[in-house]
Amino acid sequence: MTNITEKIKLSLSKRQRSEKRFKFLGFIGISFAILFLIIILYSIFSQGQSAFKSTYIELNIFFDEKIIDVEGKRDIEDIKFANFRKIITNSLDNYFPEVEKREEKRKLHEFISSSEEKNLMNLVLSNQELIGKSKQLWLLASSTIDVIHKNPEMERIVESDRLVDDLELSWFKTFKENGNLKFGFNKNFFSKADSTEPEQAGVLGSMLGSFFTLLITLILSFPIAVAAGVFLEELAPKNRFTDFIEVNINNLAAVPSIIFGLLGLAIFLNVMHLPRSAPIVGGMVLALMTLPTIIIATRASLKAVPPSIREAAIGLGATKFQTVNHHVLPLSMPGILTGTIIGMSQALGESAPLLMIGMVAFIVDIPGSFTDSATVLPVQIYLWKSTAARGFLELTAAGVMVLLTFLILMNGLAVFVRQKFEKKW
Amino acid sequence: MVTVTSNNIKIKSKKISVFYGDKKALDSINLEIPEKKVTSLIGPSGCGKSTFLRCLNRMNDTIDICRIEGEIFIDDKNIYEKNLDPVLLRARIGMVFQKPNPFPKSIFDNVAYGPKIHGIVNSEDELNDLVKDSLKKAGLYNEVKDRLNEPGTSLSGGQQQRLCIARAIAVSPEVILMDEPCSALDPIATAVIEELIDELAKNFTIVIVTHSMQQAARVSQQTAFFHMGNLIEVGKTEEIFSMPKQIKTQDYITGKIG
Repeated sequence: MTNITEKIKLSLSKRQRSEKRFKFLGFIGISFAILFLIIILYSIFSQGQSAFKSTYIELNIFFDEKIIDVEGKRDIEDIKFANFRKIITNSLDNYFPEVEKREEKRKLHEFISSSEEKNLMNLVLSNQELIGKSKQLWLLASSTIDVIHKNPEMERIVESDRLVDDLELSWFKTFKENGNLKFGFNKNFFSKADSTEPEQAGVLGSMLGSFFTLLITLILSFPIAVAAGVFLEELAPKNRFTDFIEVNINNLAAVPSIIFGLLGLAIFLNVMHLPRSAPIVGGMVLALMTLPTIIIATRASLKAVPPSIREAAIGLGATKFQTVNHHVLPLSMPGILTGTIIGMSQALGESAPLLMIGMVAFIVDIPGSFTDSATVLPVQIYLWKSTAARGFLELTAAGVMVLLTFLILMNGLAVFVRQKFEKKW
Repeated sequence: MVTVTSNNIKIKSKKISVFYGDKKALDSINLEIPEKKVTSLIGPSGCGKSTFLRCLNRMNDTIDICRIEGEIFIDDKNIYEKNLDPVLLRARIGMVFQKPNPFPKSIFDNVAYGPKIHGIVNSEDELNDLVKDSLKKAGLYNEVKDRLNEPGTSLSGGQQQRLCIARAIAVSPEVILMDEPCSALDPIATAVIEELIDELAKNFTIVIVTHSMQQAARVSQQTAFFHMGNLIEVGKTEEIFSMPKQIKTQDYITGKIG
């Protein structure tokens, strides 16, 4: 007897050791994961947060009547076509009267973002009293100045490696010393689409593009996938043909997404002649990609409904469809919705298939409908990343932050839906 | 064929055989079930008693690999006739399962579901009355009358099972099938259900599958003993338990097999 106890004790310590070892390895694995998560989040946030502010320069703007309204008729059309660039450059020239060389003036004039011309025009249109008067205004600086402003260490590197030359830097410092330089909220980032000028580029265009695209995806994939899942799981006869379909759906979920893009290019664009770069086509392509995910989620959650509920309904004389519709489907809805939201967040983060159907184009207009040319968030990030200008670096990171925010929101929604609507039986 | 009572015969099975794939679960069962009496089906696990019960409302149809041969007559109508709709059949034959399985809905909705889908009631008032009446018949009304909107799953096991009985009788079936209705319940809840079965037998034909021989002896007037897919013996309950004709029956009720 004692002999057996000894043996058990011996083996026990061995078993406990292996358990400890496994726990330790698991802990190391989790720690690594968290570490990398922190690193990636830190690098994104540290790079991206500066994109939410931009540099403004204060100038004394003189709304010269000779430029804005030569004929003095206050005709709106005249004002619209007035040379507001000249107004801005004049005030810059007044700020630095010592700058006289043509080449130097050109450099100075690039301090202010070209988007301010339109803003000044709107200002004058809304308040024609301004014509002939002067006003202190904060104007959006161009991206180069913004970069210098955000990265003070750049002032110290040698001229040849710097974005701006010594002369420009001295102007910048003058603005700074005079208190005519400040950071403001980057409105353009949330109100504009893409642009060649970093300070004028924003995510609104691609956010709306993503929204329209995902809406199409949801409208197409959710009903079809749920119906297909219910049919295959509950109503279809189990035979070789349905087995074959099942295997193929599972395989489809593993197909690289770019293949769906090729399909979209070949069928939706070349055969059906739908508009290129449009959310409607993007949505259709992503719907194809999302279908298997939702079908699999639907079937899994239908399977998870206990058979006793089905028996209860069938025993009462409910038809198969009533059983599914009244009992099984409502009970599996949380699981189906969770699967759908997960599928949608996959679709939100997808870029490869959309490249194939032209959603990678440079689009400055904010899309207003499903057929307008548009791009989506991940593609916008990719576009910014591949642009050379220094200002796009922080925009890229900020774009990732916006995308991550939406993904976290959607996943949070999935968790919420699951907890809120899950019924106990 | 054995006839045990002078009552009308409600259900008559003729040479019912059931196969699950290649396995024969029931072998040519001939059994008559009297009207408005309680018939219990007893036997060791896997003897086919539940399978037989599920033949009576064609629940076995829902199992893909299941194949059934033979005929079952209810009121002289063959329920395995080709053009008979099993949905209609199941509306006339109620069933109570081993594990209480109320829908995850309110107590009221649980009972109201059957009448609703079959379009039995014409008005809200009629439905309310029917639900109340069914709960009363199932001996549950007094316990739940103040909380009809609470989920059925919030009740205790015994109450849930009575809710399932109320749900079954709400569509006024002719026959109630019970598949070990007390196996998941404690002795007190079991006693309540057994009393209820006695009460229900006044209006319904009841077939009950049970593991407990004492229960069979207490609630039923007729008992059928199944063993390995065969119907060994059927007769008046007191006769089966006091002087079984077959040696296997005797072995089972004395505890030698099973």
